[in-house]
Amino acid sequence: SAFQQQTTNTVEEPLDLIRLSLDERIYVKMRNDRELRGRLHAYDQHLNMILGDVEETVTTIEIDEETYEEIYKSTKRNIPMLFVRGDGVVLVAPPLRVG
Amino acid sequence: MEVSHSVKERTIAENSLVILLQGLRDHVTTVELRDESTASGRVTNVDAFMNVRLAEVTFTDRQGTVCHLDELFVTGRNVRYVHIPDDVDIRATIEQQLQAIHRVRYFGGRDKGRKEFPRAKH
Repeated sequence: SAFQQQTTNTVEEPLDLIRLSLDERIYVKMRNDRELRGRLHAYDQHLNMILGDVEETVTTIEIDEETYEEIYKSTKRNIPMLFVRGDGVVLVAPPLRVG
Repeated sequence: MEVSHSVKERTIAENSLVILLQGLRDHVTTVELRDESTASGRVTNVDAFMNVRLAEVTFTDRQGTVCHLDELFVTGRNVRYVHIPDDVDIRATIEQQLQAIHRVRYFGGRDKGRKEFPRAKH
């Protein structure tokens, strides 16, 4: 039927690269200075995703009134299971290693 | 189990993760909107375009002001996140939704009724 999706083992298109990350922890950069780190449970062609054990980081830039320097502040929170709407997703990658 | 009456919506839902959100009907959860406001309530409907209807809602706006609403409709485009409650089995929910669509699609049997995907006649 037209609606049976093929599961292949080869990488044929960019979405297949995301398929390789299923059940792995990934890093997702989102619009509005947000980042997510979590375990990828599911995704679809719109990049709607279901992430487990998620840490969301929201980064804001404040300008010091006297020195005019940019101060980067980030707020984190944890959510056990999250559905993410795909149109907010900018990029998907393996988790960034820090330090 | 209720399924959309529209063939187009059933097809869209069947081929995307929105089908999981449709399975959240009657669950209480939190929807975070694009504009940073949040709505917590009982999901009464989610359509193929991710438009969400909630009941008995606690709505917290961007500024943090809380209000209570009997019903709330959120346009799909305005959804950023949907929290999945801990007691939801994702795989089972998706399979149940797909089965509901198949029950509707194959209603009446092989040789009866108007077919969604007609077989080519020789």
